Amino acid sequence: METEKIVGTLVGESTSKEFRLAVTPEAIREQDIIAVDATLNETEESGELKEIRIWAKVQRIERINPFFPAEAGHELAETQTEPMDTVLSLSREIVSAVCQVLGYEQLTGGWSGKLESLRYPPKPATRAYDPDSKDLKRVLVGKLEDESKSAINIATLSNRDNVDVEVDGHAIVTRHLAILAMTGTGKSWTARRIIEQLSAKSYPMVIFDPHGDYTGLGKIPSLSNKVNRYHATLPIFEEEADTAAQIIGNLASNPLSSAMIALFGDLFDASRRFYEAEGDERIKRINWLANRLNDDQIRNGIKPNLWLIANIADAAVQSKSDASDGNTNDVEYLRQICWENLPSVKGVALQTLAGIYKRARRAASQLHKMETVNQRIAGESQPMPQNREELVQYGKISVISLAGYTGDFQATIYSIIAEELFEAKVNERLQLPFLLLLEEAHHFVPGRGPSPAQQQSIAITQQIAREGRKFHIGLVVISQRPSRLDETTLSQCNSYIIMRMINPTDQTFVKRVIESLGEEEASLLPDLEVGEALLSGQMVNFPILVKMKEPESRGGPGGTNAFDHLKEVHDREVRDQVRSG
Amino acid sequence: MNTKSIGTVIPNEEAQGDSMETNELLTGNDVQEDLLRQPQLMMETLSVAENLRDNYIRNTARFINHLRRAMDRDNKEGQEISILQTYSVVDAAWEEFQNELVSFIDGGIGQTELSQVPTLLRVGSYEVHVGERDMAERENFGYYPVIFGDLEGGSKERRDFPDIIRITAELLGGLSALFRNPGLRVLMFHGPLVYLMNGYAGHTPFTEADIDLFLKHYSGDQDQAKQFKEEFLNEARLDIYPAMAEGRSDEWISCRLFEPLAWIAFLYRKLISEAKTREPRPIIAGVVERGRSREFCEKVLLERVFRSLRQKGNENYFNEMFGLSNLTSPKNLMDVLGYTDNLFLPLLLDTGEYSEHWEMNKSSGLGSGEIRLPEESGSSTVDFSCLREDNQFGFPPVKGTYIRVGENTEPIRVEVFSELGESQVEEAVRRVYLYSRLLPNYGFPVGLDIADKFAHVPNWMTRAYDKMIRHTLGGSLQKGAISEADMRRVLVRAIYMTPRDWFLRPTVKG
Repeated sequence: METEKIVGTLVGESTSKEFRLAVTPEAIREQDIIAVDATLNETEESGELKEIRIWAKVQRIERINPFFPAEAGHELAETQTEPMDTVLSLSREIVSAVCQVLGYEQLTGGWSGKLESLRYPPKPATRAYDPDSKDLKRVLVGKLEDESKSAINIATLSNRDNVDVEVDGHAIVTRHLAILAMTGTGKSWTARRIIEQLSAKSYPMVIFDPHGDYTGLGKIPSLSNKVNRYHATLPIFEEEADTAAQIIGNLASNPLSSAMIALFGDLFDASRRFYEAEGDERIKRINWLANRLNDDQIRNGIKPNLWLIANIADAAVQSKSDASDGNTNDVEYLRQICWENLPSVKGVALQTLAGIYKRARRAASQLHKMETVNQRIAGESQPMPQNREELVQYGKISVISLAGYTGDFQATIYSIIAEELFEAKVNERLQLPFLLLLEEAHHFVPGRGPSPAQQQSIAITQQIAREGRKFHIGLVVISQRPSRLDETTLSQCNSYIIMRMINPTDQTFVKRVIESLGEEEASLLPDLEVGEALLSGQMVNFPILVKMKEPESRGGPGGTNAFDHLKEVHDREVRDQVRSG
Repeated sequence: MNTKSIGTVIPNEEAQGDSMETNELLTGNDVQEDLLRQPQLMMETLSVAENLRDNYIRNTARFINHLRRAMDRDNKEGQEISILQTYSVVDAAWEEFQNELVSFIDGGIGQTELSQVPTLLRVGSYEVHVGERDMAERENFGYYPVIFGDLEGGSKERRDFPDIIRITAELLGGLSALFRNPGLRVLMFHGPLVYLMNGYAGHTPFTEADIDLFLKHYSGDQDQAKQFKEEFLNEARLDIYPAMAEGRSDEWISCRLFEPLAWIAFLYRKLISEAKTREPRPIIAGVVERGRSREFCEKVLLERVFRSLRQKGNENYFNEMFGLSNLTSPKNLMDVLGYTDNLFLPLLLDTGEYSEHWEMNKSSGLGSGEIRLPEESGSSTVDFSCLREDNQFGFPPVKGTYIRVGENTEPIRVEVFSELGESQVEEAVRRVYLYSRLLPNYGFPVGLDIADKFAHVPNWMTRAYDKMIRHTLGGSLQKGAISEADMRRVLVRAIYMTPRDWFLRPTVKG
């Protein structure tokens, strides 16, 4: 059985918020949780004493040697002398710790794990001790002990790896979570651990994955049947005509002129209508288009994309050309099925339409390249379902790969999907609760200078952050640049996992926005080790320093050592050469 | 070891090589600047006679300038009598002193808020094994508390009562360290190794209970403590008390009294006799940081200066310089001009240099005095001269030297027992220099500073004692145990309120 180790004695002035401890050397570390037993008067009238245990966190440890003068240090340095080789005293160090009171637990009437606010300071000269793991775990878990279905096991105490830290999964999926850390310190690792744990509870999740960090999720046995991977396509037809025109201009690196924009609305509507037909009518239209443009590839099918817009524009220009030669059949056909006022497009407008065609084709080509990269990174994946509500399924994780797309496209794709899911939930078409996980969130919900696409994604994210709880939509935002995140979104997160952070702007921002993060905890941020994290907010009883547990799944290729990767590729090349003789 | 002679007589080849360095010190402006860096001199300027003030610094600078020139010239010419021999220990290094066990001793006095009378004494000891890596083996701290009120002997009404207790306690602390550690290499005291004892003569003797109280703290071996006492009482019976208290020695012995000075002298002799049995002999030293001692300059340096002046027929050198007529001897010169060792030596010693040692005069002032025995109202005459250093049972002779340990600090005085051999001075000084280099701004051995901090009586201890006194006296007042009116009034004021409270209450009656 574990014995409680005495770690120090209360000295000096203690308050109900803080006390100072004369520390047994090497007995504690900063961020350790310690306990002090005390008695409190039950009520003033009864005078009955109740036994309590005060829980506190070691915020700061100070160590001085009063017999070692600073000036001696200078002399030692100058003469390169080892202090042990002199008469200096090195043994009489004074170690003291400043401890923050977390609350107290009543010892009588059974352990609750629930901490109450202390209103009377602990007694000076009381001994503080290192609680045994069982007690410590009970306090860390708090009410979760009775609600184990909510507990998710994600970490161990940083200074005591035999103590598991379970957090409140309910708080995560309903009150939103932010995972903030500089790159390479374990945020995706942390996110994967949480995803795996929530998946074990069959919670539906939709992950927006801009860099392929979650490609390995489906490769572990426990998740193999739970993960659906999707490669994203830009649903251009779901955009407004103006937005679609802007996208084409951006992709073609040549914005559409005002005349083009004026005409583009008709073209866009015509393309939509052309696509709307189903069954034989669609086949008929496809064949017409393939014949009109003399392009057999079209016979393989059409999609609601930029290629279709370009092709409709091209078909319209060619049909108008035929019409000028007296053959008005195709113009008439288009007028009937999708473009009512095409006959009135004449002269300069026709040249404008030809210009749109060129830009749309170039844009389609660029977008195709992005889609190709996206599909390659997404690996074994399927196209996005037409019905986005299918992304949310009991016990399933939908990973939407956004890799390969530019930031604006990623934001656009995300906001379209998020809006649709939110609306489906509000309108009760979608019954299941779900969690949206937004990796590299600063690209989707930036705090400053958003592009039009990002403005749209900020709006829907803020709405989900504010109102999601009512509709059982949870949000996890993950970012390596918290200071670039939208403050409103971040402040709506009620739980935080904060990992190593060196950038001073990020640190300041985090300190300002996260109220539950104390000054002492904030000062730890630049010194945290990889995998270490501060847990704060509603998912924990009080802020604690933990070591995140390793997820079962592996991350994307970025996690592989560069030299290992080089060797692997080279070995493969050599093998191929040998085989080919 | 490098030696350098700033002055005459003893030819010293190495010293010749340093003449250029000395020459650099010879300009009047340099000397004046050096002088102005001596805060003590500025203070002295204010205390000398008004007619001397205007030219005090300038003339002192001239004298030092001449002294340096004369020393340099004599040095070059190889004169027979050196005005001042100095030695350098800048080559001292910690490698020499590895594995040495060193003990530092210092005493601290605490006062309560109730009165300014000292109430507590703590003697702290800090023992360190140089080079030892195992912290449990490396350092050992000890402290020995004495509550003055527990002692029956000593004259508590005298201002130097705490000092006599402190000297006794420190000495016992040193003896304890020596007996406790057969391998002790260095025993270092904060302050003079032997005090000017005539100032402490005349205290009421300690009773055996007092000595038991001391020995209880300092001796781990009660048989040895008992042997100490009996050994002293036997010496006292046979030789010391008959010489000291003619006609009353039997009474002193029958009461088993411990005359403080005789007892202290006995402890010094025990320290030396024990050290003599050790090989190598422990270095026992006292280190004095500041003070107004002038013995070295008066008895050694200026004696030689005046002799040199007489030799050159320049007897009126100082009178002409200062426009006086009575500056005809070292004593007069120092009396009138307020010169001290600490004023001259910073100007004559370079960092890492120490002066030639001299036999200090610690006990020649002991003569007849008065002593009142415990619980006796009157006093009787006693003769303390038997405790002079030339007596078998007297205080031991002591050698002194000054060493300058840093560029910006005054030289400190190191005292050693003459009986422990010639090498004690140099051995002690090399260590003092090295220990002090670790405290360059203070310029004092760091181990003694550590012992000093450790011996310091903390405020909480004196406050607690203060409360205990208040409580006890308060209880006595309540019980009517104190009946005398004036005493009651004083106690009420001291215990219950500040003087301000007292005087602001017009209705209070004594």
